[in-house]
Amino acid sequence: MTYQHSQPTRRVLESLVPVICPPEAMELGLGADIVDHVALTMSSVPPLFRRGLVLGLATYDLTAMAWPPARGRRAHQLPPDLAERWWERWHHGLTPVQRELAKAVAQLLKFGCYEHPVMLERLGYTPAAWIDQVKRRRLQVYGDDIRKAEAAVLAPDPLRPPIRKKELG
Amino acid sequence: MVALPKSAVSQGRIPDRVSTRSTLHGDTVLDADVVIVGSGAGGATLAAELAEAGLDVVMIEEGRYWTTRDFTAEASAMTRQLYRDGGASMAIGDPPVMFQEGRAVGGSTVINGGMSWRTPERILERWRREAGLEHIEMPDMAAHFERVERRINVRHQDPETIGVDNALLKRGADAKGWKIIPNLRNQVHCAGSNNCAFGCPTGAKQSALVSYVPRALHYGARLLSDVRVDKILMHGKRAIGVQGHVVGEDGERGHRVVVRGKLVVSACGAIHTPALLARSGVRSPSGRLGKNLSLHPNVKLAAVFDEPVRGWEGVHQAYQVREFEGEGLLFAAVNIPPGVIAMTAHERGAELGRMMAEYDRTVIAGMLCEDSNTGRVRTINGRPQAFYQLAQLDAEKLIRGVALLSELLFAAGAREIKTPFAGVPALRGHDDTRALYTRTIKRSQMEVVTVHMMGTAAMGSDRTRSVTDGHGFVHDADRLMVCDASLFPTPIGVNPMETIMALATRSAAHVLDNLSRYQ
Repeated sequence: MTYQHSQPTRRVLESLVPVICPPEAMELGLGADIVDHVALTMSSVPPLFRRGLVLGLATYDLTAMAWPPARGRRAHQLPPDLAERWWERWHHGLTPVQRELAKAVAQLLKFGCYEHPVMLERLGYTPAAWIDQVKRRRLQVYGDDIRKAEAAVLAPDPLRPPIRKKELG
Repeated sequence: MVALPKSAVSQGRIPDRVSTRSTLHGDTVLDADVVIVGSGAGGATLAAELAEAGLDVVMIEEGRYWTTRDFTAEASAMTRQLYRDGGASMAIGDPPVMFQEGRAVGGSTVINGGMSWRTPERILERWRREAGLEHIEMPDMAAHFERVERRINVRHQDPETIGVDNALLKRGADAKGWKIIPNLRNQVHCAGSNNCAFGCPTGAKQSALVSYVPRALHYGARLLSDVRVDKILMHGKRAIGVQGHVVGEDGERGHRVVVRGKLVVSACGAIHTPALLARSGVRSPSGRLGKNLSLHPNVKLAAVFDEPVRGWEGVHQAYQVREFEGEGLLFAAVNIPPGVIAMTAHERGAELGRMMAEYDRTVIAGMLCEDSNTGRVRTINGRPQAFYQLAQLDAEKLIRGVALLSELLFAAGAREIKTPFAGVPALRGHDDTRALYTRTIKRSQMEVVTVHMMGTAAMGSDRTRSVTDGHGFVHDADRLMVCDASLFPTPIGVNPMETIMALATRSAAHVLDNLSRYQ
């Protein structure tokens, strides 16, 4: 299904990128892309899980207002040091719901960050080039064997002759 | 028997006997001898065996028909396309266990690592002893395993495709003097693209998509993809067909599909088979439907080396360390893309950046643990939800496994190892490894995943203690069969694909030997 973040959800997620992702993600201006990627991932998770995440993010944002150091501000409005501390409070929260939410949100952001082509390039991760190379080599070296194996997929089994349809009744 | 004019083994087109959401334009009613829900290791194998024998078979698959050309190294896109729930399925418990299932034509065989091992003899003997199964031991099963191994080309890897990560695993095992064996995999000259989990981009891995499914189609079977089965149609205790609907591009409910059959088979895996049976009103007098869920809990660790590893270059899991098989532990090198590694890491911020900067010098190694506890699948509003509590014994086994695997990796030259335990600092040598044994590690600190779900419609001779009989027929139902890993009475301690296929082959032979029952 197609899922798009609401503005409040997007704001909270964007505020969490510097907390969760490595500093270069922000330096390279990848924050919005990472949050877009989170939307893509959320489009494929079970609807109940998705609704829980959205509700959890809203709760995360709003409940910061009751935290004295926040001085009435929502989580997405906190300066970096307080944003870190607020996230840590959830990550090590008293309830499993808090902890699991913090973990799930962090996982989504980290996945989005390290699926970004710019970040993958920085790691030197080049699987497509490798796949092209070995795919060509396989066909060059083993072409005959591969064709034989493909033919065998469809070859009749001499040990099991077909039954006649009328036997089925 | 109907032979197609062209080969059904296609790298880039959908074969003629496959109907998809693009071709299912209205409500559809079909008749067949056999209707099979699922096209993975169990469903496709059974379909091919029965179609070749001349039966009219219809396979129904909720996922899409992807072809070899669709498979790329874009982990995120492939996960969304090929995995149920985008790979975010979870068994609730302490710790929660993330599990992955394929949702595509070919089922989980499209996204598995291709490990093809026979059921260990001790497990078959246990099934005979504990579940009362007959003709299940190796002398009876060997012919079925051999047949499967021929069909899916089970063999060792060509040596030139073994990458540095696997070479280091072997170096470590050899240094420790531990038993390590080359993996048997279903492949035709696997190129070592290390993309198994996102679909084989070369077609070398003989998943059901390129083996049993085309074979079934070639011999006249039909396949409906993009169709979700809502329920099995029952007339009293007799299964008479299935009812479902076309799944639209965005998951919306489309046209109605009914397939009537003389034999109905659920082959949609150990999570969805019990839910389908429950939605259809099937009750097991044993009370065991959905129970007995085993998971082979799996943890991974990341070992950093000084030398370049580039784990994505070379075959996935070339070897298995079998030294601790008797304890129910197997080890392997399992390269994983950066996004997934980052996602499961406990680090964040700058610390995550430092860890990931060493990705190309990192060996990811994992273990399979034969579990002692069982969970269950409940059906809530028609959807399955798994619950599983990791046993303390198994948690201790995982800690021991991590310590042993760390010893091996240090022996191979690792300088730092990240464990799957939150709050445990990276290991920097043997002293840290030994300290794992005495450290208190709670289950909630463990990052546990699995791809092996088993046992929720277990076979057995006693209908008061099992859901299905020795050939997968549901006790106290007529013409209703299960054909997937739900059937396993116990976990098997090795990768389950070949066991599922061999049981399907055996069940097909049983059906063909007893055709008069299905008139």
